[in-house]
Amino acid sequence: MIAKRIPSILPDLSFEEALEITKIHSIAGTLKQDVPIIISRPFRSPHHTISATSLAGGGRIPKPGEISLAHYGVLFLDELPEFNQHTLEVLRGPLEDGLVTISRINGTLTYPCNFMFVASMNPCPCGYYGSQEKECSCSMQAITKYMGKISGPLLDRIDIQIEVTPVKYKKLENDKAEETSEQIKQRVNKARQIQRDRYKEEKIYSNSNLTPNLIEKYCKLNKESKSILEIAFNKLGLSARAYGRILKVARTIADLEGSEQIQKAHITEAIGYRNLDKKYWKN
Amino acid sequence: MLSTVKTMALHGLEGFLIDVQVDVSAGMPSWDIVGLPDTSVKEAKERIRTAIKNSGYELFSRKIVINLAPASIKKEGSIYDLPMAVGILKSIDVIYTKEPENILMIGELSLNGDLNPINGALPICIEAKKMGIKKIIMPKQNVKEASIISGIEILGAYDLSEVVHYLNNNITISSSHITWEECLEKGKKYPLDFSEVKGQENVKRAVEVAAAGGHNCLLIGSPRLRKNYDSKKNSINLARPKF
Repeated sequence: MIAKRIPSILPDLSFEEALEITKIHSIAGTLKQDVPIIISRPFRSPHHTISATSLAGGGRIPKPGEISLAHYGVLFLDELPEFNQHTLEVLRGPLEDGLVTISRINGTLTYPCNFMFVASMNPCPCGYYGSQEKECSCSMQAITKYMGKISGPLLDRIDIQIEVTPVKYKKLENDKAEETSEQIKQRVNKARQIQRDRYKEEKIYSNSNLTPNLIEKYCKLNKESKSILEIAFNKLGLSARAYGRILKVARTIADLEGSEQIQKAHITEAIGYRNLDKKYWKN
Repeated sequence: MLSTVKTMALHGLEGFLIDVQVDVSAGMPSWDIVGLPDTSVKEAKERIRTAIKNSGYELFSRKIVINLAPASIKKEGSIYDLPMAVGILKSIDVIYTKEPENILMIGELSLNGDLNPINGALPICIEAKKMGIKKIIMPKQNVKEASIISGIEILGAYDLSEVVHYLNNNITISSSHITWEECLEKGKKYPLDFSEVKGQENVKRAVEVAAAGGHNCLLIGSPRLRKNYDSKKNSINLARPKF
């Protein structure tokens, strides 16, 4: 799976990030004896039977949950609609704030949870809705119910939505060497370094942490890009949150290319990553 | 006699300096722990009593009162075993140096006097450094994670008697420190690689953007499409199970 390979291209950790991650894992008691400090970004993939408490953190004396254990790393939820809806809604606040505050009788604790949320899912119960190869056998009602498990607000917080289409037989047979993770990682590292240098004063590490004020400061658009975004905003009926998130993704794409300004191509690619909710959710 | 030992309570990632005040006096034999301890702290009584005995020191029946100050903060967990045991040994003059007052101590005792690893050693060290503590004694197994912090002496001990000997200046424990570069060398390569995925350039590109900026992403597709394109190499590996 592609999602399982994401850790191989995640940017290297800085010392400060590593320390913060290790602190949380030290409290949770999940440090292994052979690693003194965590040097690679965590990849957490809880099963869909997980409860809201173990996702967010909790207990009589609150312990960090999966979202905090995935701090500065990846929280991967496979088969997203299979998760309890109540459990998924827990993610809303943390996805926006990068913090989770847990209140229990013994006190109120705040744990950081600045994670990259990755999810995968089928487009319908049978798995073939919208497919060109095979006909979908689900009733419209079943599809709506299935997709309805992912709420609009949660979907709104996902910057990049991408459809995985079948690979053609020719491509599978093709012996052309594919790009290795190492090559991709080099580009990712370079882009992340640009971000680190840019946000030195702001105490954030990546584009995804930009606040509305900072978006205004760092994601300036030229006239042409602005008009494209305006058309897309009206046509797709985007929310204010989606607007900010598109700008952040465009900033990242520009950083990957080493471009200081966000160009037309960058903003169009970023908008392209947000059109699936129209296709599958019809909202 | 009254004695004081420093330790720390963790609330989430925030640390609070705790004074363990121990008074051992003549009177009806009893043992009280006050200062908002929870059950796991109260249970320490039996561990400490047995650990002290099995380390070769004698604890006569006396009136022991332990206060964990400030008493307004809830204390939980087993990290107070070591400071309480050291406090008692100081009160009965087994430890006769003044030093323990400037050293922070954390650690869980087992019945034979050994120190067991605890959770949260790294955040405790970071918080202790912020509060100006210079030395910290902890179980040997926790030294690895804590030794990344510079500017504070991290001393790892195997058992209670080692701590007693150290405090009485009979032996020295060398502090250990590792650098970030040394940690990086120990890194392992991730076993899965993108070169095993044929085609799917658009998905790879999207994932690359997501990783570069830390953006959330959602992959939608039929199950077989998402899972079945691993290269032949992997399927060969799967076909031959290892012992």
